[in-house]
Amino acid sequence: MSRKYEDLTITKDGQLLLKKAEHDQVETVWDRYQAQLPQCGYCDMGLSCRICIMGPCRVDPFGEGPQQGVCGADADIIVARNLGRMIAAGAASHSDHGRDLVEVLAEVAEGRAPGYTIVDEAKLKSLAAEFGVAVDGKDPLQIAKELAAAMQEEFGTRKKELTLLKRAPAKRQDIWKKLGIAPRGIDRETSEMMHRTHMGVDNGWVSLLLHGMRNALSDGWGGSMIATDVSDILFGTPKPAATTVNVGVLKEDQVNIIVHGHNPVVSEMVLQACQSPEMLQLASAKGAKGINLAGVCCTGNELLMRHGVPMAGNHLTTELVLATGAVDMMIVDYQCIMPSLGKVAACYHTKMISTSDKAHFPGMEHREFHPDNVADMARMVVKEAIDNFGRRGRVYIPVEPVNAIGGFSIETIIGALGGTPQPLIEAIKAGKIRGAAGVVGCNNPKIKQDYGHVTLTRRLIENDILVLDTGCAAVANAKAGFKVAEAINYAGPGLKEICGALGIPPVLHVGSCVDNVRILGLVSALANALGVDISDLPVAGAAPEWYSEKAATIGVYFVASGVYTVLGPMPPITGSMNIVNLLTQGLNDLVGAVFAVEPDPEKAAILIRKHIETKRQALGLPFLANVG
Amino acid sequence: MKKVMVHPERCVGCMQCMAACATAHSQTKCLLTAIAETPLPKPRVHVGAGLYGEGFPNRCRHCDPAPCLLACLPGAISRHRDTDTVIINPDICINCASCAMACPFGVIRYHQDMTAAPGKTVAVKCDNCMARQRAGLNPACVEICKSGALTFEEPAAGLKRKTDEVARSVSVCAEGLPSAPGFALLNAVKKAQAGLSKM
Repeated sequence: MSRKYEDLTITKDGQLLLKKAEHDQVETVWDRYQAQLPQCGYCDMGLSCRICIMGPCRVDPFGEGPQQGVCGADADIIVARNLGRMIAAGAASHSDHGRDLVEVLAEVAEGRAPGYTIVDEAKLKSLAAEFGVAVDGKDPLQIAKELAAAMQEEFGTRKKELTLLKRAPAKRQDIWKKLGIAPRGIDRETSEMMHRTHMGVDNGWVSLLLHGMRNALSDGWGGSMIATDVSDILFGTPKPAATTVNVGVLKEDQVNIIVHGHNPVVSEMVLQACQSPEMLQLASAKGAKGINLAGVCCTGNELLMRHGVPMAGNHLTTELVLATGAVDMMIVDYQCIMPSLGKVAACYHTKMISTSDKAHFPGMEHREFHPDNVADMARMVVKEAIDNFGRRGRVYIPVEPVNAIGGFSIETIIGALGGTPQPLIEAIKAGKIRGAAGVVGCNNPKIKQDYGHVTLTRRLIENDILVLDTGCAAVANAKAGFKVAEAINYAGPGLKEICGALGIPPVLHVGSCVDNVRILGLVSALANALGVDISDLPVAGAAPEWYSEKAATIGVYFVASGVYTVLGPMPPITGSMNIVNLLTQGLNDLVGAVFAVEPDPEKAAILIRKHIETKRQALGLPFLANVG
Repeated sequence: MKKVMVHPERCVGCMQCMAACATAHSQTKCLLTAIAETPLPKPRVHVGAGLYGEGFPNRCRHCDPAPCLLACLPGAISRHRDTDTVIINPDICINCASCAMACPFGVIRYHQDMTAAPGKTVAVKCDNCMARQRAGLNPACVEICKSGALTFEEPAAGLKRKTDEVARSVSVCAEGLPSAPGFALLNAVKKAQAGLSKM
């Protein structure tokens, strides 16, 4: 590690723990990134193809070497196929997460999932109504059974169109129909993408990318939306709650358990076990003052949103948190769990537990959690964590935690506004709030950790743009102190006035990365209230530090839903300037929104502000002519 | 006489030259089997990372006069005049590292090699794929390079091409368009990202 810690992360805990990790000879994601340099330019440009074994092939971007793969695919086709498969993988991940929740819902209805219940009956009933399941006079478990069955149909091929598309403004639905990109089945679109990208199927780069949008929409208005809604039914619709963030949430005198991953199915039960008198007594008998459950990544966000469980860090902190030597156990489910974690944990006393039948990791003990055994399994692993408390070596928790408020579901945001989006609309119309932006996505060692999220968010709120955030971006902004009521002091005068009156922070934590669909819900509500399309609204999306296939899919469903979206890192598309031009300009004519790529968050903020003012002008609202 | 020429502005950093080089200097000459050989074949060309992570294939220049040749006390390093190649005789090499200290480019490595006695560590560097050239083949790194960062040609022809490129770039009314706009765009993003870490 030759670079200065300050060059790698803006977080104090990150810098101090990087130093500790180096001292402990623990290799981190930043070391491995350096070791990978230079990264392959063909792959970076999307110009390498490994789809069939007449290849592998690559196209020379300078035009002198090969210009086609063995099959004859040119740069446009190769880049489009690669991007298509990236979207399919992202959609598959979030939608499979959604499927797992629907399965739990079905098992709860059958009485085969002890420990889980229906927590939000009102949401169960409203969802059932949307899916055409009669609710009157029915037992909630019967409704759950029928709703789960109806949702499972969404994944298959028996539908003409996904049910939840109806939530979008009518104009948006018409655009999808006209372009032929209204998704028909969640798994169907992913499966069809794999088919189209097989050698010798779809070799139209435009038609491939149109299907890419349909595939992404099948996640955004299908799998992910179901994931969020069913999570709310099973574990409660989030309400604002105070919490704390950064590595300082670990406690020296308590058993520290970290949950990592995405699906609340396991972590919710671990939380219950941690709160049980039996386990607390056991911890006390071992000399611990309590059991401190904290999260990292999005399973942490799920618990933070619903229970105010503290958050130790985002993606690039997941290795560093172990270097505290204070984590007695890390329990993982799936997605974004670096396979290096077992090796890091081996330098400390930390026990690593993997829980999903579909996610195994080196250096972790595998304890498979299923809906029928989950309560027992959770108690068993928590007991092991308590036993491990006594094996701790020296502990290094270098910072104090920062306060934050999480839990802003759309229901709560509308509730805080008095039951209707009208006050928000009035504030936007008056120009007190210029517009809203979703700042979402991951960390990526190509961007200084949290610098993209925090800089962009600061610039947006100081220019009176309300920020809604999710995932690792939300954790970054919480660490930066943007999620307390006093953070209105970072905001411009208009946003400060509105948020101050409502007693909310200017940056609203709306959930995990699967919960980006809550933002779709909010923009749909705003568009419907104004009688316009989503693409007419003064709103934007940004993924300043994205890295994952899931984030690519989110970006595509945002744009296909009409939200202008600014990416930090460049996706692997520069091998085809046709595709670069389509994604950054041409899509405007099709879906009324485009992508922009801007790694510098200061410049990204200007792009978003300009976009928002342009949309204000088109709506006939007061606008600023000169931004930036 | 044809020589390997390096065109850094065309290196996309794929590192395929390294794998091809190691394979060319293996017993089996096939990547899939070469990785199972003892000693494990190693590349003579090494791709370095520049200021913003861009690639550069760092290869022996076969200097004349060659500092490594002058520094070698046992006389293991000599020049093969037909191919203008500086070569190391593994039987004479005493693994003293004098050549590596003298080399301004850091291209000499020390490890076991199939050309040396079993178990003996020797100085190893690019031999211009003399064995391949004798068989009528181009050096392995050049053959595998599809972006034109490594070429095997008469230096005069290569330099003429470069001269013309420079001349075109200063032509009156030259648009100054990059030859691969997508690659230029990717590099612009990489430069921007690298710049951010200093903020």
